[in-house]
Amino acid sequence: MSPCDFNRRQFLKYTGAAGAATVAANLSMDDVARAASVTPLPVGTPILVIVTLYGGNDGLNTVVPYLDPAYLSNRPDMSLDASQVLPLSDSLALNGTMTGFKSLWTANKLAIVLGTSYPNPNLSHFSSMAIWQTGSPVEEISSGWIGRYLDAYPRDPFRAIGIDSTLPALFAGNDRVGSMVPVSGLQVPYGSLATQMELLADTSRQDNALVADAAESIGDLFALSSVLAPILKTAPPTSVLPLAQQLDVVANMITGNVPTRVYSVSLSGFDTHADELSQQNVLVGQLSDAIAAFLTQIGTSPRADDVVVMVYSEFGRRVQANGGEGTDHGTSAPVFVAGNRVAGGFYGEQPSLTNLVQGDLAVVVDFRDVYASMLEDVLGTDAGKILNNWSTKLNLITSAS
Amino acid sequence: MTAASDRLELSRLVHRFGLGPKPGEYLQLLAGGIPQARAKILSRRSDPGLNALVTPPFPNMGQVPSDPTASAAYWTEVWDQSLTVAIWWMDRMVLADSPFIERMTWFWHGHWATSISKVQFARAMKIQNETLRTHALGNFKDMSRAMVKDCALIYWLDGEQNVAYSPNENLGREFMELFTLGVGNYTQTDVHQAALGFTGYNVDLTAGTVSFDPKMHDSSPVSVLGKREVLDAVSLSDWIVSRPENAKFIARRLWFRFISTTVEPPASLAKVFENRDISLLINTIARNPAMRRPQYSQAKSPVEWFVAACRALRVTPSKFGSAGDLTWLLSSMGQFPFKPPSVGGWPYDEAWLTAAAIPYRVNIATSLVKSGHLEPLTSVPKSKMVQAAADWLGVAQWSTRTERALNQAVSDPARLALLALNAPEYLVNA
Repeated sequence: MSPCDFNRRQFLKYTGAAGAATVAANLSMDDVARAASVTPLPVGTPILVIVTLYGGNDGLNTVVPYLDPAYLSNRPDMSLDASQVLPLSDSLALNGTMTGFKSLWTANKLAIVLGTSYPNPNLSHFSSMAIWQTGSPVEEISSGWIGRYLDAYPRDPFRAIGIDSTLPALFAGNDRVGSMVPVSGLQVPYGSLATQMELLADTSRQDNALVADAAESIGDLFALSSVLAPILKTAPPTSVLPLAQQLDVVANMITGNVPTRVYSVSLSGFDTHADELSQQNVLVGQLSDAIAAFLTQIGTSPRADDVVVMVYSEFGRRVQANGGEGTDHGTSAPVFVAGNRVAGGFYGEQPSLTNLVQGDLAVVVDFRDVYASMLEDVLGTDAGKILNNWSTKLNLITSAS
Repeated sequence: MTAASDRLELSRLVHRFGLGPKPGEYLQLLAGGIPQARAKILSRRSDPGLNALVTPPFPNMGQVPSDPTASAAYWTEVWDQSLTVAIWWMDRMVLADSPFIERMTWFWHGHWATSISKVQFARAMKIQNETLRTHALGNFKDMSRAMVKDCALIYWLDGEQNVAYSPNENLGREFMELFTLGVGNYTQTDVHQAALGFTGYNVDLTAGTVSFDPKMHDSSPVSVLGKREVLDAVSLSDWIVSRPENAKFIARRLWFRFISTTVEPPASLAKVFENRDISLLINTIARNPAMRRPQYSQAKSPVEWFVAACRALRVTPSKFGSAGDLTWLLSSMGQFPFKPPSVGGWPYDEAWLTAAAIPYRVNIATSLVKSGHLEPLTSVPKSKMVQAAADWLGVAQWSTRTERALNQAVSDPARLALLALNAPEYLVNA
């Protein structure tokens, strides 16, 4: 058995599903595996990687209207001039640190969805991130959009995996939650301790919802680690930077045939109220490098055409700089979608820097048009069911090559 | 025979209003009855448990030396102090005989969530921590007045960049959204105008002090929440805190962290907070009938879990392994004191119950059990050990599932303790 291959028998052994097969003798092993929705992911199955930028990334210093006089005059000490950017068109350019994204753009594998937000943008980090992660700008709800995608399937700790220790809101469904794996991998108890710990994972009729979650998390650990531990052990992280490390883990899982359809990773530090240039240039550079390296790694595998990466933040920032050479909270900003099957180019249009709505950039594209594309054209599910009957989408994904 | 609801209520009292029982405490309190136990847990007595604890100095680090070797040593010292201050605080939480005040300080730290990852200097965080402790059970108006002039908070939210000729909205916005009113109770205009009121405060970050520069302050009248007046940080704080939305918001925040993240508090709770008396509010919350109802369960956060385990095992955090290891393990679980992930404070409930956190928790628990005291288990016969573990740790009741697992380990008390600390009924305060 190859250490890099997800193996069904191994999974059954660790989860106790094999025991279920013994009890329900008229079910074949394959039935059990299907019921648990656990099979190695067939090559050709699309995979979505969601990258969350926490803090509100400044869209205008990421995709830069570098020749717009209003850009330069509003940000006298913190605008990027023509020598500090990578032009994409006669009006827009990438931040000069984003050479990886520029290569993807040139290869027609990068879509930039300009002016993306939702109606009446909220300038609070927490309210706005909740809106993006629940996928619900109007009604306040508690389930995440990927969580609701999970709700439609049998419980399966592999279907959505985040690389962190705490659960992001987008992964919490009404009945299901995504799983989390730390960047350092999972080292589980072994021997008699493992046997006893697994007893703690059993369900009990006495459990309330939270206690049941705690027990389930113990079961998930053993299920996940049996598959992931050998895969993650084979390739130590190649970077010390947090996003690159997370994407390293994801790349190893994808090439190791882990049956996961959605991954979540994140990068923090975008709340640049002061001294923005020195911080944001570094962060978007890391973002661009990490995603380009990730897609390069996947590009040499049979899954080169399967992976789509989506990058968003809770909001962009104000057009005008504040006194601390930073920017306060704003509204719309570009969303990025990258991958071999992505139809590269601009979507939407750059909002005017002078014709502002309540002092901020106008909203051109509703983010649900991007989500609908991800749900329907990557995850193959009906977006309307997950996004409260939302019925329009962008055509960001070309059909399978 | 004690009623199951008494065990449940006491379990919640000792874990949510205290920081977990010391050995023998749970049964002792149970014997005295709930009213007496509650009064004891919510009392503020002088605390002999803290007598032996020496507070490290956290000196003003002054300017960064220009010499490269000296500068490297300077930053190493800054880093070491950032661990020391967190471990010093966890020592307090663990050693306190009456941990209620530490528990409340811990709550307020999550409320006015300030991170040392930006502030860097332990001295400023320690000063903020003392401010929160001073006002933890006092009047919210006083607490808020003190916090708008707190060095670490101002620096964390770029307040020192907020000047009359070019305001920075960060502090003004988060003050209303997260600290005093809650989202929806102010407009963008209020945010901007409040930012003007907060202009002119400078920080000395290494000293942890704040000074006021009238030249940088906008002394023209500002319009905040329907009032137009000349305001500075203190009068602005007073005006915002006097709003009825503040009573509702703070009452909800305490309810959320002490009772339930899913069920709303009774409408009457805000009325209790009319005079902004924190002690009255938290005492009222602790007496709510929800405390006896099974559906109001809450997950322990990693620090709450770690502190409760240390208290039970009589392990002092500063004497437990290396500061670096402890920092790494707790951070890997997603929580380290003085390092909230954002100004919004800590996650809650399901977010803590991930497979990813378990290996680190098992790792810490294994070391704790090795260096801790297991008399509560070793002093009873095997047949009583599983129940003794519940009584020792303040667990209302093990499920039959957990009993089955623990029963496998009665010949090895250390193993039993390790399993109990990782049992679903211990991770969640049922």
